[in-house]
Amino acid sequence: MIEDRAAADGSEPDVIDVIAAPKGPSRSRWVVVAILLLVLLLLPLGRPILGPYNYIILLITNALMWTALSSSWNILGGYAGYISLGHAVFFGLGGYVAAVPLYYSGVSPFLTAVVGGLAAMALGFVTGLITLRTRGPAFIISTIALLFVFLLVFENSEYLGGTAGLPLPVVPLPQDWLKAPFFYAMLLAAVGSIALSYKVAHSKFGLGLRAIAEDETKAEVAGVPTRFYKILAFALSAFWVGFAGAMWGYSLSFVRPTLFFTVAISAQMVLMAIIGGRGTVAGPVVGAVLIVAVNEFSISQFGSSEINIVIAGVLLVTVLLFFPLGIVGTLRKKGWLPAFLDWD
Amino acid sequence: MTEIVQVVIFGFLLGGVYALFASGLTLAFGVMRIVNLAHAVFIVAAAYAVFFAFENFGIDPLVSIVFIMPVAFVLGVGIYVLFFGRIEGSPRYVEMTVLLTFGIAIMIEGLLGWRFTGIFRQAKPAYLTDAFFVGDFLFPTGQVYAALLSFVLLIGLWAFLRYTRTGYGIRATMQNRSAAQLVGVNVRRVSAISFGISAALAGASGAMMSYLFPFFPFRHWQWIALLLALVVLGGMGSLKGAVIGALVLGVASSLVVDQIGAAWGPMAFYGALFAILLVRPRGLFGKEVAA
Repeated sequence: MIEDRAAADGSEPDVIDVIAAPKGPSRSRWVVVAILLLVLLLLPLGRPILGPYNYIILLITNALMWTALSSSWNILGGYAGYISLGHAVFFGLGGYVAAVPLYYSGVSPFLTAVVGGLAAMALGFVTGLITLRTRGPAFIISTIALLFVFLLVFENSEYLGGTAGLPLPVVPLPQDWLKAPFFYAMLLAAVGSIALSYKVAHSKFGLGLRAIAEDETKAEVAGVPTRFYKILAFALSAFWVGFAGAMWGYSLSFVRPTLFFTVAISAQMVLMAIIGGRGTVAGPVVGAVLIVAVNEFSISQFGSSEINIVIAGVLLVTVLLFFPLGIVGTLRKKGWLPAFLDWD
Repeated sequence: MTEIVQVVIFGFLLGGVYALFASGLTLAFGVMRIVNLAHAVFIVAAAYAVFFAFENFGIDPLVSIVFIMPVAFVLGVGIYVLFFGRIEGSPRYVEMTVLLTFGIAIMIEGLLGWRFTGIFRQAKPAYLTDAFFVGDFLFPTGQVYAALLSFVLLIGLWAFLRYTRTGYGIRATMQNRSAAQLVGVNVRRVSAISFGISAALAGASGAMMSYLFPFFPFRHWQWIALLLALVVLGGMGSLKGAVIGALVLGVASSLVVDQIGAAWGPMAFYGALFAILLVRPRGLFGKEVAA
């Protein structure tokens, strides 16, 4: 079994382990995934038979979106070990790239969401060129600064609606089916980002990223093209975030700078990936589902989003201090990881 | 010309306060390699304490420094022992401190928001709206007090580091942690005290924030972004760098506000950050930092 490369346990990377790792996943976990996917695909269609259940659809849409975000963040923050606290930038950029053509010329975001993702990717590439010249704290700080630069620019642009943002028309669909397209879009984003994360984890590129996370100087000496890999990781980790942002704005029927370009969005991605297990394929998914559930529960119990924030902070600190490998990483270390969560 | 000089004066007054705001941040990094993302939320929390002391008991914000600094010091030492004592020596320590303080920041922000809601607050002592003229130039009294007091505190910090035994230990630890340990500095104790001092400086900063800058819980993110930008500009862990960075950016942002518009002031900070990353990633006075 491959040890978690991005683990904070300081163990030296063991090449033998990687080579000797069993090739290909066991069949049972693919069965679990297929069943889960089938259920999700059919879920919105059950409406005529089962009656309205918008709440559940909404909740799952939410969980799918956060899965996409935290899985994407994990490519840079988990595999490569470069913590970005500014990933909300890509979310906001995607949101606006889709919102502006809709607002001014009525182009559907279902067509432009991919453009939103590509724009986010391009931005990831460019910021990577500048910010990845530094390591450690300076990199993290520059990602926060990037977020605030965008907030400032978008809040002060009249074309983009300033602080009030842009109101968007509602999807032209019958009331009953309003939620379904977003459900499928977020399902696509979640599946796409998990597939990307899996692909990266099982490629030479992913191995290079893990080497960078472990010891960048050594990785460079060993011939890993660190600079190119890091920038590529930054760009890849932006795509689905931009896509999801585009869909999210449309589903809210407005975009507003303070709602998109906010540390709170970045914080959730980081929190989910770390609680689930950084640098693992399944970790961010587990984290996203768990945190969406916790948020839902605490809002229904306490009715205030401030308590949510406190809970998020307490969870993050607790996990960092006592289970730095996250849920998936800790379970694996103890040998308790169920097969359907083992994708590394 | 007079207008520009006036703007530069405003910038210097602001820069003096920014220097105090950033001093605790850079101290924590210099001594303990802690990138404290919670520093600004400490300041905001202190600003709430000072604000309510003023509203309810009429204690002047600047006088309340006498109370807030010792309290913040004790809380700082407590936080250090509780959270950072555990992770000392863990691999990827700096990154760990970022994530940990990120969590602490979220926690405190949530508590403040829950207790005091998101409305803007600002203490309004009499000198807030006062001003005096020197020649042709206007000096807002409240800002002059804040800048002067900031410099007094910074000089006090410098003297403490320069002339006391504990100060020697702190500076030795800043220069070389393991060497300091070898020559008998109790590094853990020094670290805890330094974090306490860093928090006390945040407490004093909060007193100034309470009347100079309207605040609410979520605001701290904007502040930490500005403060980190100027600390990176000056060189992380360098006190001299933080003070110079603060003065430069205080003036630069005032000029931006004057020439381009009030909303764009923070852009001076971010512009400087990205520029310095391109030209000299370690900052003006910084040492080379390993991740």
